[in-house]
Amino acid sequence: MERILTITPSRCTACRTCELACSFRHAGRGGLGISRIRAFMFGEGKNQIITCFQCDDAACVKVCPVEALTRNESTGAIEVNADRCIGCGLCSIACPFGHMTHSALSGTAVKCDLCGGEPACAAFCPTQTLEYK
Amino acid sequence: MSEDAINLEINGRFFQAQEGMTILDVAKREGIPIPTLCYHEALEPAGACRLCVVEITHADWKGWKGLVTACLYPVEEGLQVTTDNEDIRTVRRTVLDLLLARCPGSDVIQKMAAEYGVTATSFKKNETETTCILCGLCVRVCAVKGCSAIATGGRGIEKEISIPFGRPPPDCIGCASCAHICPTGAIEYEDRGDVRKIWGHSFKMVKCASCGHPIMPEVQLDFEAEKSGLHPDYFKTCDACSQQKTVETIRSSFALRAADSRDSVEAIG
Repeated sequence: MERILTITPSRCTACRTCELACSFRHAGRGGLGISRIRAFMFGEGKNQIITCFQCDDAACVKVCPVEALTRNESTGAIEVNADRCIGCGLCSIACPFGHMTHSALSGTAVKCDLCGGEPACAAFCPTQTLEYK
Repeated sequence: MSEDAINLEINGRFFQAQEGMTILDVAKREGIPIPTLCYHEALEPAGACRLCVVEITHADWKGWKGLVTACLYPVEEGLQVTTDNEDIRTVRRTVLDLLLARCPGSDVIQKMAAEYGVTATSFKKNETETTCILCGLCVRVCAVKGCSAIATGGRGIEKEISIPFGRPPPDCIGCASCAHICPTGAIEYEDRGDVRKIWGHSFKMVKCASCGHPIMPEVQLDFEAEKSGLHPDYFKTCDACSQQKTVETIRSSFALRAADSRDSVEAIG
């Protein structure tokens, strides 16, 4: 059975280690702004972690004019094929949850791809807020 | 590999490919560099820029060899490809020399030409200021979007990316995909206030329902909603505000269930 990335917000301390792990994994450098996962600090027990839900009937996939967004059948994640992406930004507008971002650096869409089945955010989360199970 | 795989040789190394792939597809897959300007994976190859020329030969061709565009040439059994040698570099240098004569002001062309040792064009410089290299990526992306509002017009030295009868193209939805994909930044558009100006049009923009930031032209919204089958509301909030809304929604739903959230950090620590 497919594994999923679970988030238990009540455990989150908003330490933002997930954001750093994500940016190092994908961009090779630490930068909270370039992370595909975001932590929001509202106080102990109220913090929020936001990342792609990997929707079944995803709006981003529906609007992409060039089929640059496809589901990886082994992880269940929707992945961006950066070589196919034409950078029109439609996916980031259509996503009702704001999980898709447009990278000014690459000119393409960027989103959580579950790191191909080994999400770095979950591996580095010190409080098991993020678990991949 | 499957039995119906096609065996070919690139720079003396053996690779397998599938029917329908081009030389460039295989080279890209294998990380073999071939320069391109008019190629985009999502669009039909056009062979317009001629930069991806490679040399091909075959054991059965009795020593015959030729230069072809890698983006268009389909793989075949026993094909022997060379991606870089003096003949190829000569062709690429000439192409870049010509492009530099057409667009002397283009940074992209200047940089590429310099990589091939062309620092100044040996042809007469174009007096009309342009950075358009007529690669046609804009025309192809417009067709893929489903609009086909722009096309190449004229022939020879008069060829240009044109709009029908020189008037704002009626099929243009103002998505600016043409401007985003242009490798040399030749297509200009302007977003000011809630108006986008492109190809002679002044499109009224839809503003984010929360923050007021302009999102896309109203015409494009109608087009995208119809094409995707999604409710128009999907296109009325910007990504930052959508994320904020998600956070607030989850937060309020958790606040309602606060009494149940006993599994705090202390509990697992």
